[in-house]
Amino acid sequence: MKEIIRTENLGKYFGKMAAVHDVTLTLQESLFTSVIGPNGAGKTTLINLLSGYLLPDRGKILFQGNEITRLGPDKRVRMGISRSFQVMNIFPRMTVFQNILLPVLSRLNKTSSAFSSLLSQKEAVGEAEKILGEVWLNEEKDFPAGELSHGDQRLLELGIAVASNPQICFLDEPSSGMNPIERIKVLELVKKLAGERKTTFIIVEHDMDIVFSLSDWIVVMNRGEILAQGRPDEIRTNQEVREIYLGEEI
Amino acid sequence: METLAFQGLVGLSVAMYLWLLAAGLTIVFGVLGVLNFAHGSLFMLGAYFAFTFYGLWGVNFWLAIALSLLSVGVVGYLMERFFLRHIYNQDHAYQLLLTFGFILIFDDAVKMVWGGVAQIPAMPGFFDATVSVVGRPFPVYNLFIIGAGLLVAVVVWVLFEKTWWGKMVRASASDREMAGAIGINIPTLFTGVFAFGAMLAALGGALGTPVRVVAPGIGAAMIIQAFIITVIGGLGNLKGAFVGALIVGTLSAYGILLFPVFELFLIFLIMAVVLMIKPQGLFGG
Amino acid sequence: MKTRLAVLFLVIFLAVLPAVAGKYLVYVTIHILLLSIFSLGFNLLFGYTGLLSFGQAGFYAVGAYGCAKILLAYPSLLAGILGGVALAGAVSLLLGILCIRHTRIYFSMLTLSFGMMIFSLAWKWRDMTGGDDGLVGIPRAPLEIPGLFKINMNAMENYYYVVLGLSLLAIYLFHRIVRSPLGLTLQGVRDSETRAACVGVSVRKYRLLSFTIAGLYAGLAGSLLPPLERTVTPPVAHWSFSAEPVLATLLGGIYSFSGPIVGSALFYLLKDIIVRFTEYWLICLGIIVVVLVLGFRGGVVSIFLKEGSRR
Repeated sequence: MKEIIRTENLGKYFGKMAAVHDVTLTLQESLFTSVIGPNGAGKTTLINLLSGYLLPDRGKILFQGNEITRLGPDKRVRMGISRSFQVMNIFPRMTVFQNILLPVLSRLNKTSSAFSSLLSQKEAVGEAEKILGEVWLNEEKDFPAGELSHGDQRLLELGIAVASNPQICFLDEPSSGMNPIERIKVLELVKKLAGERKTTFIIVEHDMDIVFSLSDWIVVMNRGEILAQGRPDEIRTNQEVREIYLGEEI
Repeated sequence: METLAFQGLVGLSVAMYLWLLAAGLTIVFGVLGVLNFAHGSLFMLGAYFAFTFYGLWGVNFWLAIALSLLSVGVVGYLMERFFLRHIYNQDHAYQLLLTFGFILIFDDAVKMVWGGVAQIPAMPGFFDATVSVVGRPFPVYNLFIIGAGLLVAVVVWVLFEKTWWGKMVRASASDREMAGAIGINIPTLFTGVFAFGAMLAALGGALGTPVRVVAPGIGAAMIIQAFIITVIGGLGNLKGAFVGALIVGTLSAYGILLFPVFELFLIFLIMAVVLMIKPQGLFGG
Repeated sequence: MKTRLAVLFLVIFLAVLPAVAGKYLVYVTIHILLLSIFSLGFNLLFGYTGLLSFGQAGFYAVGAYGCAKILLAYPSLLAGILGGVALAGAVSLLLGILCIRHTRIYFSMLTLSFGMMIFSLAWKWRDMTGGDDGLVGIPRAPLEIPGLFKINMNAMENYYYVVLGLSLLAIYLFHRIVRSPLGLTLQGVRDSETRAACVGVSVRKYRLLSFTIAGLYAGLAGSLLPPLERTVTPPVAHWSFSAEPVLATLLGGIYSFSGPIVGSALFYLLKDIIVRFTEYWLICLGIIVVVLVLGFRGGVVSIFLKEGSRR
């Protein structure tokens, strides 16, 4: 198993409060990993640090052996790291198709091309259409993204995240705020993408069904630190973890 | 040396007008989150109303000031209640555009009502004197302005720090939702704050009538300086607005004296520099 | 298809205008074209990239004064225009680097202050800019490439065709840009700068690109002014002049390609009509602005066509 991303003593503090403290973590390639923990455990902050949305106060982050600790998010994307957001972050005034096309163009380094029309970018267009199909949004192709239903926006959010063809993709609560039917759809999509693509998925989730049915590896956080990590069956039987969740069905 | 001291005093009185304008601007931004491009126009309206009551109708000077404040307060109320309210949570661009529209409206409106010619009314009798400062005559009225400005600074400080209304306003400024949740009537409060800010600007304009030209466009000229002041002091910061006004007022007075050609350039340069280095301003955070 | 026909008809109409219309109308049309170019550049920055600049007049002025100085020294129309545009582009690139780090209110205020700094230089630096009086006696230099051709510009009609040609070229280029990957990237930056960064876009770089292109367009519009009026004065750098492309774009429609052009024509049309009835045209404009901002963000284009209200 090859290591894909590693942190050493990672810390992020807001005043006196430690959002993330002394986190030393190694994530393995191709292992579908879930990060779980109670609210305020630091899960989203960790994702923000790993994806470059926030810069750490202490510690290091290494991606495939290269230090990326202070790189901005756009540079990390170019290296192969991408993410989706818990609070929806799509391009509302652009069409669904354009939402997917942009990350593809970015990956193919075509974004500075000023005089060729979008449709003439055959390679990018083809790829974008394929991804659109993967996330089941073919019919909504020309709708402004802001007009999609909440559930479809979530699918689009996932589509944007995988459109840059990342090696590692962080999904921050991908099924957040969805009704049971929409949840299942998202779960199916994540499962499908994980199975079909060469991307390592790291997912922050509260929904234990999703966590235990999809994960190869689980990381449990509490109060900004790593409480435990291991295979699902190990975590399920871990005493400390059970206590944290106060007897919740896991 | 004497010239510098004298010019400093001139700068101080100029600064007070700027303070009155900037105070309202910064309060409105701090509480409502709106940058009112048309705030200078409210200053101008204050001058026109005061000129009408005092200069044209012969009303008692102090009464004229009070009436002009009231009048502009009403204008401010109408502006906020029926127009500004609709764009609160939107892109600042639309707020700037909307309030810019008001600049156009007010500029022409004063021409329509008062004619386009500049006016200068008479000085109220009890101020019509000069005082000798470093051997040169300095208008008593300007001393009055300096005093008035300082008084307003103290009153406003007391209002926001010590009174119950002030506490409500500060609470709403820092967390609108929370304030609403504990029962503060946000829409009414906002209208009140906007009217208050408008009246401060009007006070600046009104107090200027005996000494400064009342003409269309004086608001637009001052709003830029008011922007500079709020940037230097920090948007939403009253202490910053006062200090900023002092800086800009004295700098422009010294600038005119020492670097007449580039005085204007210098002021904008300072604004640009502050925006680039510490955009939250000297006192912002 | 309908759009193409309309555009073709419009181009033909503009091409024959001097033959059918009086000198005054030709003169106004030149001004409309200038404002259109100015506004297109402005809208690349505002409608497409999400940045409201109140200082574009600064770059317009750099183009105008630059062209004027060149023409006074070396009367070649081509040299003047190219020089003015290049200078405006350079200045906007430099100032852009400083402005682009900030957004929203601070960006708008920063552009306002830089624009006014240029204004204060134009107004006070007598030796360079002629100060209050500006630059006068600027020749409407001939369009020439030494050794190839030389076309005299004394007749306004001749100059009209130069402006028309350049305007059509500028509009065509703009059309290519906004339909290109670059155009899409700018819209992405506008819609969500966070998301744009997280798909690999360097937000700062693209904002700077947009700013510079806007500056080039402002500079082109500015460069075309001196040969027409034969003078350049400081008000072209004032923030109230920066407001013209803002108003024209708002009128026509921020979110459409043709908005700035339609708005520019409307701006002059309105001015012309209103001024016949009353001298108070600013208040009418102000009321229109208030109505548009509160109700019709998509401007006139969105009211009459379906194209405007979205993209």
